[in-house]
Amino acid sequence: MALLYPIPFERSGYVYYETVGFLVLLNAMLGIGWNVIGGWAGQFDFGPNIFFAIGAYTAALLFIHLGWTAWLGLLGAVVVSVVICAALTYPITRLRGHYFAIATVAMWMIAQPIGATWELINGSRGLFIPVAAGNGFVHGMLTMEFAGRGKGLGFYYLALLLFAATLLGARVVERSKWGFYFRAVRDDQEGAEGIGIDSRLCKVVARCLMAAVFAAGGVLYGFWALAVFPDQVLEVNWNVLPMMAVVVGGLGRLWGPVLGAVILIPISQLMTATLGAGPLAGRGIDLIIYGAVIMLIAGGRPNGLLSLPWARWAARLRGRGPAQPAGG
Amino acid sequence: MTLFLQAVADGLQMGLLYALVAVGLAIIWGLMEMINFAHGEFMMLGMFGAWGLSVSLGWDPLISMVPLAVIMYGAGVLVYRLLMRRVQRGEIFTQIFATVGLLFFVQNGVVALFTSDYRFIEGSLLTRLSGANLTLGDIRIGVPLLVGGLIALAVFLALYLLIDRTDFGLALQATSEDRDAAMLVGIRPERMYAVAWGLGTALVAVAGVILANFFAVYPQAGLSFTVLAYAIVALGGFGSILGTLMAALLVGVVQSVTAAYLAPAFKDAFVFASYILIGLFRPQGLFGRF
Repeated sequence: MALLYPIPFERSGYVYYETVGFLVLLNAMLGIGWNVIGGWAGQFDFGPNIFFAIGAYTAALLFIHLGWTAWLGLLGAVVVSVVICAALTYPITRLRGHYFAIATVAMWMIAQPIGATWELINGSRGLFIPVAAGNGFVHGMLTMEFAGRGKGLGFYYLALLLFAATLLGARVVERSKWGFYFRAVRDDQEGAEGIGIDSRLCKVVARCLMAAVFAAGGVLYGFWALAVFPDQVLEVNWNVLPMMAVVVGGLGRLWGPVLGAVILIPISQLMTATLGAGPLAGRGIDLIIYGAVIMLIAGGRPNGLLSLPWARWAARLRGRGPAQPAGG
Repeated sequence: MTLFLQAVADGLQMGLLYALVAVGLAIIWGLMEMINFAHGEFMMLGMFGAWGLSVSLGWDPLISMVPLAVIMYGAGVLVYRLLMRRVQRGEIFTQIFATVGLLFFVQNGVVALFTSDYRFIEGSLLTRLSGANLTLGDIRIGVPLLVGGLIALAVFLALYLLIDRTDFGLALQATSEDRDAAMLVGIRPERMYAVAWGLGTALVAVAGVILANFFAVYPQAGLSFTVLAYAIVALGGFGSILGTLMAALLVGVVQSVTAAYLAPAFKDAFVFASYILIGLFRPQGLFGRF
């Protein structure tokens, strides 16, 4: 069903809804990545967007200077960000809980002036990605280079592809020995160490998995936006939205971030589109309502929407289904 | 050498103001272990309160500080009672989510009422003193910032005595350490959390009132201070009010020395780099007990 979703809109010319779909999938994917460190390994990471930025910049540099296509660049970006993540994360795994969390914020804060001043990546002016125009849909899917009509749909499917790969990967990790190690470290670090689990290594591996997902997302976003500059890829939303998607859906649940992104992103996009324009434009009415909705969900369901008794409701519906014709 | 001493003196004064911004967070986050991403928004509300009372009634911020502190205490208690008390039952991450919602709500509420324009308080006591300087040898110390810093220090010391030296402070600490045990000895945890939220909110609003004398008043003013405040509390160490003060002074000095000798654009980056470096040697912060 999700696969077919944008086609009716494409026919009626609403490119806008493809963009919403693209952002939903992108944030769901990032949320799945964040869930590995935040949900399973139980470590607060408030600054994952540095890997989003590293991914976007790496692929853009490889494309501009070496002519690597986006998919090759994506591989390169994932490798680079995982290596950087491992080097940055190992030292700070000495810190625990809130102290670790602030160390990740610190890295983000240090990345900002570096991004704004580093000449290699053109400082705050950023990099532009000059893509070839109009080579058809298949070529576009193979190179992430789209121009004009078809771009929205093309990127929707690209995002769907990466999202599906991430979900599959997360499912594999969840059931692998690493998945159990992560949760063991989260639930009882001393106990986990007692049975021979290297907790620092686990945290590094978990954060590197997250970094790989964020790097891939960054590449996709860079080729979608056709430009990479520091204020855009290091924006706070790339930290907050994936994290919020995870929390709304249900922390540590495989499908949690997916549900969260499906709820949060359309609400914010549609409200920006409807209330952000018109007589009250620029007064932030959409964001006031958005904030209120967020508080209602958080206060009403502090353990995430997947913590609702869905299975029981579904069973009751199934139980009632055949019973009704018999009774009536 | 004079340049260095001047930078240190400037940094210490800024550090005192940072301490006041951070100490509210040291109570809510550091002591009670609840996350509040909307901390800076309460500071911004304090700034707007000071600006509003100055424009409409002509009250000097040094006077309006008192009623605003009382109002914001009530606001903090209300946020806890209506929102955070429920959120507390879930995962700790939900607190991030809820307070990000609160941040959107408050910040954009102010945008809707007052727009995002920069506003300045004119003719207050501290702004009129802006030309006055004290000279100590070769070092010049601006009087307004000094007065602001001294007020911050006084509030800070009162709070330190309250938390570390009174039964009430002990009850707060007991609640954060072991909620059930605290209940057994007759402490009502929810009341303690509510008071902590009230105190934290009132303190950061007072910080906002003082800062409104020196900085532009606008709805997004809070964010950069929030991030610094989190680093300050963690650097000082959890549960240590005095640690927060020391860390804030250190952060102020690192900032102004970096700005004087290296690149001003990197002054926050150096603060955060020193946080990580210090963390590698003292994972529990400078004065943290756990």
